[in-house]
Amino acid sequence: MWSIITRKELKDALRDRRALGALLLFPILGPVMIYFMFNMIIDIAEEAGEVSLPVIGAQYASDLIDYLEQNGIEIETVNLNAAANPDSDFYSNAQLEEISVAISSRRFDFVLLIPEKFDELIGASRSSNIELHMESTRTTAAPKIGRVDGLIQAWGRETAALRLIARGVNPAVIAPVNVVRVDTASQQSRVQSILGMVPFFVIMAAFVCGMGVAVDVTAGERERKSLEPLLVNPVPRYTIVIGKWMAAVVFSAVGLVLVMILNFFSLSLVPLEEVGIVFNVGSLEIIGVLVTTLPLALFAPSIQIFVGIFAKSFKDAQAYLSFIMMLPMAPFFFNMLNTQDREFWMNFVPMLGQHMLLTDVVRGETPEIIDFLLAGLSLLFYSLLFVYGASQLMKRERIIFS
Amino acid sequence: MIEVQNLTKSFKDLVAVDGVGFHARNGAITGLLGHNGAGKSTTLRILYGLLKADKGRAMVDGIDVMTEPLKAQAEIGVMTDAHGLNPRLTAREHIEYFARLRKMEKTEIQRRIDELIVTLDMSEIADRRAEGFSQGEKMKVCLSRSLVHDPQNLIMDEPTNGLDVMTTRSVRSILHKLKKDNKCILLSSHIMQEISALCDEIIVIADGKVLMQGTLDELARRTNESDLEEAFMKITRQG
Repeated sequence: MWSIITRKELKDALRDRRALGALLLFPILGPVMIYFMFNMIIDIAEEAGEVSLPVIGAQYASDLIDYLEQNGIEIETVNLNAAANPDSDFYSNAQLEEISVAISSRRFDFVLLIPEKFDELIGASRSSNIELHMESTRTTAAPKIGRVDGLIQAWGRETAALRLIARGVNPAVIAPVNVVRVDTASQQSRVQSILGMVPFFVIMAAFVCGMGVAVDVTAGERERKSLEPLLVNPVPRYTIVIGKWMAAVVFSAVGLVLVMILNFFSLSLVPLEEVGIVFNVGSLEIIGVLVTTLPLALFAPSIQIFVGIFAKSFKDAQAYLSFIMMLPMAPFFFNMLNTQDREFWMNFVPMLGQHMLLTDVVRGETPEIIDFLLAGLSLLFYSLLFVYGASQLMKRERIIFS
Repeated sequence: MIEVQNLTKSFKDLVAVDGVGFHARNGAITGLLGHNGAGKSTTLRILYGLLKADKGRAMVDGIDVMTEPLKAQAEIGVMTDAHGLNPRLTAREHIEYFARLRKMEKTEIQRRIDELIVTLDMSEIADRRAEGFSQGEKMKVCLSRSLVHDPQNLIMDEPTNGLDVMTTRSVRSILHKLKKDNKCILLSSHIMQEISALCDEIIVIADGKVLMQGTLDELARRTNESDLEEAFMKITRQG
């Protein structure tokens, strides 16, 4: 019986551009965002990995250049066209001008300048300036510059230590403290935090994709004044509510599956192995994720139907439901702040259980069957509660006649 | 056949229906006549099962509406005061939806819809979406969907309100045909001409109470007024 109502509401929704737009647009948004964010991170990681360093005067600092090459920097020897300054040890203004043009025209992001007397000064245990020309606003070059800078400093410290040893002084005398940096924010953890957005987009999709239909079949029906004629037919209220709920569930489920497919598709396009993440999703994982998330497609519309019946018009419903849209963010934030491991009670909190399961699956872990079952069943229970509430609301005289 | 006994319904402090009782027989058109707010709609809404009465009984073909609302609803066709249509569905789809909800056979549904389209002269709008339908066209769709299951009893709340002459005439002719088929028709109106032109039995209602029930002639005799409007004024003033 309820399927008659579902079919009619679906037919109507498929003719509604607004509802269709929400269904198709949202699932595309998340995966596209994730794809671009990943690519950006991977690009940065890759570029910092292989630094090519344009050097002017490489021949004047053979030891330093060797040291840089040993540490994986690719040296690119650059020759200048401008005339040198015959009176000075350093480069002429014309040459410096040429370098500055080369950087601003983006031929280079940065250039290392070594003066002619470098080896001579170092050999005589004196010090020499070298210049690193760059444009600090170019954020993509920052990690590379940092790497080059760090290596040159390290070479300097090593040279200093050797000089001290040659004079019979312990190098520790001038280096009382050594700061050793251990960066835990590796590329991997950055990628992990983006992967953490996948469950959020999936839960969001359950809410966004069915909402248009859920509002139209409830508040829309009231606004059009077509609820009273419908209720005159000898059909129990719960049948009517279930029929309407199911129409929204279909939209929500289609949205979920779309988001899922597009997410996995976009993740498969990203070369994740280059940042050291193994992400192999087989059909088993996809089935697991679907089993986890499909109860969400029952839950989200059940709240929306309940709230929608409460609302007299589209406008009212939109105002109420904008609060409901905050709900999917709750488990996301909870998970971000939560430091404990998964606990048993979390399975019974609507959406939190699903969020945990999805997070596990996306990270390549297999959750336990009992968690799947409990999280799914408790969500089903909450959905039925809202559907029951909605059928009770539909019996209210104030709701039928206003 | 519709029977109402001692029906009472209050909304907070307001007593909308106060001990209403009447009888609408088969093969007749019975009209509830009263001002706006006299309690006509409330009475009808109790009858078609959407409002719960505080006291009294409402029976449709011997079925108590309070205890078995779905069974009673199956015996009636209702044209509510609200004529909401879904702008994205066609006239035919609207009628089909209600026919399905009343568990009719597929072939029977098609036959019945084709029949109604001819009777109500709807061939032009049958496969058009309801968006932009005129008041009269909306009304025809509403009437068709309340008649699609060929109910024994028909309840109509202000059926000709805001209709043009042509549509009013076709509604009238349908009602006369239903009457000939021994159906029970109960309608409400505040328009005197409508009631006097259509109804065999007239129930005058004011402030939630039935003041008088009878044929047009009986009302005229009891009030000494040949004109219904004059008779109505006299009855309600006394009440």
